[in-house]
Amino acid sequence: MKKKMVSVLLTAAMGASLLAGCGSEQAESVADTAESVAETVTETAEQTAEAVTETSEQTAEATEEITDYGTGEIKVWVADNVVDFTKETIDKWQTENPQYAGYTVTVEAVGEGDAAGNMITDVTAGADIYGFAQDQTARLVAAGALVEVAPENVSAIENDNAQGAVVAATVGDTLYAYPMTADNGYFLYYDKSVVTDPSTLEGILEQCEAAGKNFYMDMTGWYQVAFFFGTGCTLTYDSDSDGNFTGCTMDYDSDKGLVALKEMIDTASSKAYQPGSSAGDAVNYAAIIDGTWDAGVVKDFLGDNYACAKLPTFTGSDGKEYQMSGFNGCKLLGVKPQEDELKLAVCDALALYLTSEQVQLDRYNAVGWGPSNLNAQADDAVKADEALSALSEQFAYTIPQGQYPGDYWTNAEALAGDVTGSLQGASDDDIKAALKSFQETVSALR
Amino acid sequence: MANKQGSMKRNRAISNFFAYLALVIIVIIWLFPFVGLVLGSFRSYDSAVEYGGIVDYVIPKHFSLDNYRFVLSGQTNYIRWYINTVVIAFFVAALQTIIVLCVSYALSRMRFTGRTALMRFWLVLGMFPGFLTMICLYFLLKEMGLTQAGAIPGLILVSVASSGMGYYVCKGYFDTIPKALDEAARIDGASRARVFFTMTIPMSKPIIIYTALVAFMAPWNDYVFASYIAFGHDASYNVAVSMYRWMNTGDYQGYFTRFCAGGVLVAIPVTLLFMFLQKYYVEGVTGGAVKG
Amino acid sequence: MSNASGTGNKKNPVGNFFSVLGNGIKDIGVTFVSGDWKTKISYLVMGFGQIMRGQFLRGGMYLAVELLFIWFVTSFGGQYFAKLGTLGIVETTKKNRTTVYGDNSFLILLFGLLTVFFIIFLIVLWYMNIRDNKKQEEILKSGKTLPGNKADFLSLFDSNFDKTLLALPVAGVFAFTVLPIVFMICVAFTNYDATHQAPTKLFTWVGFENFRNLFSFGTGGFGSTFLSVLVWTLIWALLATFIDYFLGIAVAMLINKKGIKFKKFWRTCLVMTIAVPQFVSLLYVSKMFDSAGIINGTLMKLGIIQNAIPFWTDPTLAKITIVVVNIWIGIPYLMLMATGLLMNIPADLYESAKIDGATPWQMFRHITMPYMLFVTGPYLLTSYTGNLNNFNVIYLLTGGGPKSMTYTGGAGGTDLLVTWLYKMTINDTDYKMAAVIGIMVFVVTAVISLVVYQMLPSVKDEEGFQ
Repeated sequence: MKKKMVSVLLTAAMGASLLAGCGSEQAESVADTAESVAETVTETAEQTAEAVTETSEQTAEATEEITDYGTGEIKVWVADNVVDFTKETIDKWQTENPQYAGYTVTVEAVGEGDAAGNMITDVTAGADIYGFAQDQTARLVAAGALVEVAPENVSAIENDNAQGAVVAATVGDTLYAYPMTADNGYFLYYDKSVVTDPSTLEGILEQCEAAGKNFYMDMTGWYQVAFFFGTGCTLTYDSDSDGNFTGCTMDYDSDKGLVALKEMIDTASSKAYQPGSSAGDAVNYAAIIDGTWDAGVVKDFLGDNYACAKLPTFTGSDGKEYQMSGFNGCKLLGVKPQEDELKLAVCDALALYLTSEQVQLDRYNAVGWGPSNLNAQADDAVKADEALSALSEQFAYTIPQGQYPGDYWTNAEALAGDVTGSLQGASDDDIKAALKSFQETVSALR
Repeated sequence: MANKQGSMKRNRAISNFFAYLALVIIVIIWLFPFVGLVLGSFRSYDSAVEYGGIVDYVIPKHFSLDNYRFVLSGQTNYIRWYINTVVIAFFVAALQTIIVLCVSYALSRMRFTGRTALMRFWLVLGMFPGFLTMICLYFLLKEMGLTQAGAIPGLILVSVASSGMGYYVCKGYFDTIPKALDEAARIDGASRARVFFTMTIPMSKPIIIYTALVAFMAPWNDYVFASYIAFGHDASYNVAVSMYRWMNTGDYQGYFTRFCAGGVLVAIPVTLLFMFLQKYYVEGVTGGAVKG
Repeated sequence: MSNASGTGNKKNPVGNFFSVLGNGIKDIGVTFVSGDWKTKISYLVMGFGQIMRGQFLRGGMYLAVELLFIWFVTSFGGQYFAKLGTLGIVETTKKNRTTVYGDNSFLILLFGLLTVFFIIFLIVLWYMNIRDNKKQEEILKSGKTLPGNKADFLSLFDSNFDKTLLALPVAGVFAFTVLPIVFMICVAFTNYDATHQAPTKLFTWVGFENFRNLFSFGTGGFGSTFLSVLVWTLIWALLATFIDYFLGIAVAMLINKKGIKFKKFWRTCLVMTIAVPQFVSLLYVSKMFDSAGIINGTLMKLGIIQNAIPFWTDPTLAKITIVVVNIWIGIPYLMLMATGLLMNIPADLYESAKIDGATPWQMFRHITMPYMLFVTGPYLLTSYTGNLNNFNVIYLLTGGGPKSMTYTGGAGGTDLLVTWLYKMTINDTDYKMAAVIGIMVFVVTAVISLVVYQMLPSVKDEEGFQ
């Protein structure tokens, strides 16, 4: 039984790395993987040195004969705009790897948000492989909707992908998901004809006001950290590998936090300011803080005046200048816990393939999703992308988004509500009190 | 005398003028969103021509049929969603009407042990919010295989299963049909069932149409439960579920005009049907209101 | 003869219940002692007596149900029923990298309850079976014959037609309304939430813990949020009901005014809001009031306002906007209803008032309004409780927002208890608190219905407006 297990694992690993690797690195990476698997086997099985040699010999044999993975069904959930791409890719994968052809793979259009929600509601009915945004990792792990990445693939994924994406896929010390993109962040889109200097927030607001145009920025959880982290505040949570939160580091209730929140209130009081971060719903704007997914919409709207830049700096109420920060995040691909070993191996292989360098590059070419794979990021086409370059410029000032409890977003959205509402024109004391209560609630979340 | 009549006439004319003015204003307000919806549906989403998201003007700069072409072409499952909704609405209307008629007849005409207890019990049950039991219903249906791919029969089953509790209006109507008619037929040897099928039902056309109409219209609005049961299975969505995503999910930027077109296509048959059967609806609403 | 509480107070429903129960038990005992051997065996094998006496159809049905029950409990329900006390103890484990699921608390609770329902049903049927045996014996003893199978069957379409008509609807309500409600009431006493999610994690009974949380006013407690949401829910229902009511009547009177032509046209225009599915019309309207929508855009273009009016983002303004939009939805119903009712008011009442020199306002105040209020009293009550749970309007317009830090549990400024409940179920999977809120909605609805119902003029005084 054990022998079979090992051989399956190894075949999966090799098959996957064969697919994932390209060019001259191929042989090397396969060797690497084989080695690391052998090591794992040693540790877990606590076998003697002799046994190890024996095992590797046998597994080497086993790799030659294509193991029968049997038949089954695999359901994949990805966002609507990559459904066709994913279908084609999987077809290609199955023709290239006839050992997986016994599996019927269906691809359904379920957006990242819905996918996470559905997986948490009912794991058993959910997809076997699904795309989700990095902020859901801990929640999904806690709900038992993610299986940890096969140990033999871990190091390759960690080395090949942008560090922020790896952090986002990790809960505790365990890697739970496959990074698929690293374009989940925000930067500034602006209208060249209106905003001549996108380097300061004050300047942008002033020029928008003067031109009677709108400046869109969301102040909810994901975006407000641009101010808080910008002034040097921190907010991180510790989690164990089951996805439970164990602690929180937060210092919003401080002078730095006060500067940030006052700047938010101040920005929101501008008549050019509009809350919102989806270009599709925005009107009459000359600047919007948004992500790469809206690049097409913004380009259509701004036409020849389309331009991108990193986030601006702002001069705080203490007279100092701060660079706006933010999260950098990614989209991940997860595999749900399986009861069947062979199916799990196939799911692992498929997820690995769908997040490999080549597929990430293909995906960028097909739908414009920015890759998380470092080699793919170095590709010329990717580098020439205006929005992605602005984003990667901004990423220098951002913090990899780790795991946050679901209630953080709820509370942060509440704070955002107050920034445009009850905190407008509030005194410093009121603002401090709001910060204090925000910190109390948020840091107590688990 | 003539003078007084004249002033009265003038008064009436003035008050009529203001009444008309008020009515015209009201009608404009009432129809504005619908006009906007229809106009929006003719705005192209083709970025070379115009923007398909939310804009701050009503009249499109270029009229086009792009949105209709989009929803009716095979690019999305819209036609499937539409058929799903029609199927659900049709079956719910038919089955729900049958059940309501059965329950109302039994409660109106027959006296049996537990009758008042049953009515009271159902009244109490009705005070629980429907969304409370969503998760439970989901798993019940899942055990029967009626979620995801089987969501359509599942939705029909759930809507129909509890429809017995909505007997008030129909029972009220039956109560107004004189019992003497029943008794006379029974003396002639007709069974209860015969009376029900050959006398009561033919006399209840208005209430049958009212019940069926209300039941038919509800599924078009069902977003919450339908999306829960379909559980990400695109082919099982109804129009409300699928098009709600176009409005409220980031994946669908600039789908506003497509929503308008889809919405117009949904609204036309439902509205026509309603207008056509309005008389019965009014009868049901009025009767129901008076009886509580 | 019967137990003590039974004889006491006839009006006391609890005492009444015990007296019925006591009589039932006595009945069971007496029948067993005095019954013949067929009846005695029927205590174990349901329907045995009936079959032996020739009523195969009736007896066969009893027997079939009993067999079905035994099959259900042994093959399916029993295993869940046995674990109902703990809701499962076997944890989910990992075998290498595959997952071995343990007990599923959710299914244990659900099917455990289903089994309980079945047991109760069987006990009732068992009792009916005994009564039936007793009755048959009595009939036979008195020298009459039992009705044949055919007559027995045909009675289902005549004297027992109610059973035929109600069987399916009642079963449906039990399976898809009663069972889920009892299930959710049970959930309110467990710790079923995002961190205790079946099948990966177990959940278990926690007593009144969740109710304590609902009424705790400290940090993270639901107390203050619950109160504010409750107050807004009550106010909203009041505004939505009465504003629509009076405006609806006003519009109906306007259209019915003498000398106004095209009455049907005006009505048809208004009725559009009922005819067009709300998910289309309300979603469109919500975008109209958006900060980037048509209304703000037009006002800004006309130079009337400088900044967009935060229709949905300011809590107070959002509440007002919702009430206003609800007028748009609600008036047509009232208009339709009032049109019919206004015509029912005896015309001679107005005539005589006119002769007495009453002004139109006086006539409205003293004739129209009292009549309408009297007739539509029950409607107002159902409309009020309906508005307490008016999910569509709130959810499609604001989704319950805007959120504020003063609220816990993800509630927003315009959230009603039902939308809050919905969000807890969908967004936070906090089922235990959702269940508690659901129970509170029930309590609020029930209390209001009971209290108001007693005060209704049409209930107090049936002949009031004759």
